[in-house]
Amino acid sequence: MSDVSLYYETLRGPVQAVDSVNLEVPKGEAVGVVGESGCGKTSTSICIMRLLPDNIHTFTGRILFDGRELMDMTDSEIRSQIRWREVSMVFQGAMNSLNPVIRVGEQIVEPLRVLDKVQKDEARERGVARMRQTGLPAEAYRMYPHELSGGMKQRVIIAMALIMSPKLVILDEPTSALDVSVQAQIMNLLKDLKREEDLSMLFISHDIALTSDLCDRFAVMYAGRVVETGEAEQVLQDPQHPYTEKLLASVPRLRSDVTPEFIPGAPPDLVNPPPGCRFHPRCPYVMDICSKREPEMFPTGDGQYAHCWLRGDEHG
Amino acid sequence: MGLARSLLIKAISLFAVLMIVMGIIVVILGFSGYSDRLLNAIVTQQTNAFALSLPEGTLPEARAQMIADYETTLTEAYGLNVPWWGRLPSMVWRVLSLDLGEARTAQSYAGSKNINAIILERLPNTILLITSAIVISVIIGLFVGIKAATVPGSILDRVTSYFSAVSYAMPTWWIGIIFILVLAVMLRWFPTGLMYSAPPPEDPLMRFLDVLWHAALPIGALTLGLSGIYIYQTRTVVLNTAQEDFVSVARAKGLPENIVRRRYVLRVAAPPLLTNVILGLAGSISGAILTETVFRWPGMGLLYYNAIFTADEGIIVGLTFMFTLVYVVARFVLEVLYVALDPRVRY
Amino acid sequence: MPTRTQEALQEFWATKVAKVGVVFLVTLILISVFVLVFYPLNFGEELWNNPIVWADNPKAVGPSWTQAFSSQAQAEHLIFELPEPVESDFSQGFKRQLFQVSFLFEADDFPQFTSFTMRDVQFQEDPPFVTLILHRPDGEAIILLDVDIPYPEPEDSPPYVFYSEDPRRIYLSGSPAVRLAVATFARRQLNMEVLVSDIAAVGPEKFMFGVPSSQGGRATDVLKGEYTLSVLVEGVHADDAMGSARFVVAGQLFGLMGTDNLGRDLAVGLLFGFPVALFIGVVTSTLTAGVGGILGVISGYKGGKVDMVIQRTVDILNNVPLLPILIFLLFIVGSSLWNIVILLVVFGWTSLTIIVRSMVLQIRDGEFIQASVALGAGTRRIIFRHILPQVAPFILAQLIFFTPSAILAEAALSFLGLGDPSIPTWGQILDRGFSDGALYLGYWWWIIPPGILIVIAAVTFVLIALGFEPVINPRLRRRR
Repeated sequence: MSDVSLYYETLRGPVQAVDSVNLEVPKGEAVGVVGESGCGKTSTSICIMRLLPDNIHTFTGRILFDGRELMDMTDSEIRSQIRWREVSMVFQGAMNSLNPVIRVGEQIVEPLRVLDKVQKDEARERGVARMRQTGLPAEAYRMYPHELSGGMKQRVIIAMALIMSPKLVILDEPTSALDVSVQAQIMNLLKDLKREEDLSMLFISHDIALTSDLCDRFAVMYAGRVVETGEAEQVLQDPQHPYTEKLLASVPRLRSDVTPEFIPGAPPDLVNPPPGCRFHPRCPYVMDICSKREPEMFPTGDGQYAHCWLRGDEHG
Repeated sequence: MGLARSLLIKAISLFAVLMIVMGIIVVILGFSGYSDRLLNAIVTQQTNAFALSLPEGTLPEARAQMIADYETTLTEAYGLNVPWWGRLPSMVWRVLSLDLGEARTAQSYAGSKNINAIILERLPNTILLITSAIVISVIIGLFVGIKAATVPGSILDRVTSYFSAVSYAMPTWWIGIIFILVLAVMLRWFPTGLMYSAPPPEDPLMRFLDVLWHAALPIGALTLGLSGIYIYQTRTVVLNTAQEDFVSVARAKGLPENIVRRRYVLRVAAPPLLTNVILGLAGSISGAILTETVFRWPGMGLLYYNAIFTADEGIIVGLTFMFTLVYVVARFVLEVLYVALDPRVRY
Repeated sequence: MPTRTQEALQEFWATKVAKVGVVFLVTLILISVFVLVFYPLNFGEELWNNPIVWADNPKAVGPSWTQAFSSQAQAEHLIFELPEPVESDFSQGFKRQLFQVSFLFEADDFPQFTSFTMRDVQFQEDPPFVTLILHRPDGEAIILLDVDIPYPEPEDSPPYVFYSEDPRRIYLSGSPAVRLAVATFARRQLNMEVLVSDIAAVGPEKFMFGVPSSQGGRATDVLKGEYTLSVLVEGVHADDAMGSARFVVAGQLFGLMGTDNLGRDLAVGLLFGFPVALFIGVVTSTLTAGVGGILGVISGYKGGKVDMVIQRTVDILNNVPLLPILIFLLFIVGSSLWNIVILLVVFGWTSLTIIVRSMVLQIRDGEFIQASVALGAGTRRIIFRHILPQVAPFILAQLIFFTPSAILAEAALSFLGLGDPSIPTWGQILDRGFSDGALYLGYWWWIIPPGILIVIAAVTFVLIALGFEPVINPRLRRRR
């Protein structure tokens, strides 16, 4: 995914929700996208699935999936060839992701039945198998969403995401609406699945701790841009971008005396983002150049990159 | 099993409503002295009938004595010798069985003045009118509302919004009046009222067409009055449902748009839409009463109007109960439908 | 807080429907103020329902302006006041007064009726003779009537004064004496075979103002030209006299909105409907919103038994078919304006209570209130400082939304004949028109305007309510 931009049209002008984002999800790996709310994480995932709302201002860039250019495909090609078959998604908010008047089993196998015209019995078998895999009893197949607990619903949704055996699963805050104990169960399930199925995952969360638990790589987003990418360990141990640094410092730690800090200031208005580096008004290390030119992607070693003039060649 | 239970609860609560309305009617009748008048009228009428049935040649004194005795017996039988609260139970039963004596002026087709006969004869005509108007306006409401919701902000959407606002403010009965004035009196395309031509055609098919011709304006007026609300509600519900997360999920699942619309928008919107029909039922019945009056449609509404005009309390009591009954039954039918549509209420 | 109110008002004013609604509302209010200033408060009983007031108006005729759309010249409504005699003398023991009026009659249609009213007839001994003579353009004259003035009662003393408090009105079209005089005139001067019964059937005006038609038979055509009515008063005493008189040649058109079958000026009645409709709408909706809001707050805040009682009541009232019950109750308690308002409130508050209750429950369980309670804030303080400010805008919006329903409900009840007879409303005018067959006779001016006014009054509040919708419901705001 390179140089993808998505602007929403609003009354006040275009909102630069996603601006020149570069992101790569290697096969079989999980990439965590972290950042504050409203920084464009969910919008990024929408770009891949091309589930665009009506008020699109600009949608540009290149999205390469398994050697195919998604941007060149028509809407119906995306629908019939990519969605769910190749890329599936677990949406934010488990409570509202299921149709309340259709039995969950039918909802799970629906893509099989509709897209692949699989017979009812076979679909059912595969559905139940996926449900077992995600820790659901077979009886749940004939239940309605309101009869299930939050955790069970989330398992249903995960089972649903896996039904077509996609190559990539986008998980958008899959656990944010759940209790902490249920959250842990779901995270364990995801780890198991990743191992068993050799899945690629794009894990979107504002919770760095959760993300680090699952993901191999990190992409930190700020104000519609990716500000830092790298191996999970490296980003966590040695953040190269001041924002990442601040974000990590804001996470409370259990066995440490360090008081969690919060980042001063508020995220910028995406209709009128600050010029140059978008973080510069809040950055403790701000320099002259930061407000004038947008920083490039500077490698900081071992596949870690940061969009920050601190890491760049002062004269570049 | 759960289904039966939730329906039973509905049935019980609706029955409670019926009983409470009944109670209100009976208590107010007793309290205001109307029940005395009502029963006295029945007693007088039966006494007169008794007097006529006495064999001729009875001695005048004996005759007067017999009549007086008969009247006393009746007075006691109807509980007129006890205060009104003492005969509440019998009054409830009286209203329940529509045993309300004779009407002051109204008559059944066969010429009977029995309130029971008159009301039961009018009932099917009213049901015909209400049912067809509701069904047609719900269909129009669904069709146009969904169309309007497909492209919010489109011309159709805006036109329907204004139409709904005006239709809400426009009394159904006045629409009926305008229909009569323009389509019946001025253009003479339709009859100005009633249900059959005089004399009604013999042939069943012609008879059916004749009723249809007479029903066109009243049903049209009711439909115009009711559909505005349904269109607006359908539009709102469909738009709200279309914004739900599961609709995005359905699209992400690669389902074609028509399946998304059918199974994820319309199917989900169905229960709240039905709720609107249920909530609009009382309004529909009110509209029907007034529309019948305007079109002199021989239903219970017209009977109401005439009874108010002639201060015929027996008919008013009977009709109030009958309309409540019709409402409760219709409501129950819709509730059954609701339970069938929405799995969330089944337990 | 003021900024929030301002913002809400801006949001409200930004919608087109709201602007239209406000313009309508201001118009309604201005007309109502006008009516309240110029109409007597007991208008209904004193004027509207008093047939004498309207007796000299033509009955069930269309508005004057319809003349512009008619190829025929319709008869105008002519009222002639005769305040004093043109001649008056006393000589040789005879007193003679002459009242006179001349007028042009150029219409293609005959007058609907003619009437004569006299005032302050005074005499010493015997009542004076009063003779009505109509002089026609063709030179003919018809002695229409010798008015029969009764002798005084023996206990009274001269001078006798009649018809001063209570003027005597003679409906010439219905007077047997006039019929006979006109029939005689038609036979003698017009050479027509006309019987008194014919005149009773078609009205004397057909001959008073007519000449034999070319069609023959008893048909007549209008004789156009200048007519003169002379009223001769003859007595034997110097002060035997008639004070003043009035002569009406009723037209086939009247005023701005026409008349009903009692001759009532519909424009006058319709104008009176404005303040009444506003009153019913605003008072009913305010009371409804007040009761619903208060009960909702109590139900939500108090909980427990109070809540249960209120909720069960709501359940029952919500499940009652409204109109039949309203009809029944109004029939029993009698229809007065206040009874209608009270019943509409009694059956109208439930929907608001349900919503307010759930809002209050949400607010009450919110952290903020919990914290206030923990800090020792009293019930009153919590309700007035924290709950009401949040609930109030919603109640206000519902208040506006209730208004058209109340207006429409009153109109419907009035149409069913359950309106307050002492206060004319648009619904009652419609009911009267409908039950008197105006609809089938095509008297559209009697049927359409009241309905349109009902719709306009209701639409006004619907539009304002729609304007408030985006203010109250932000979800809709974003979509527009």
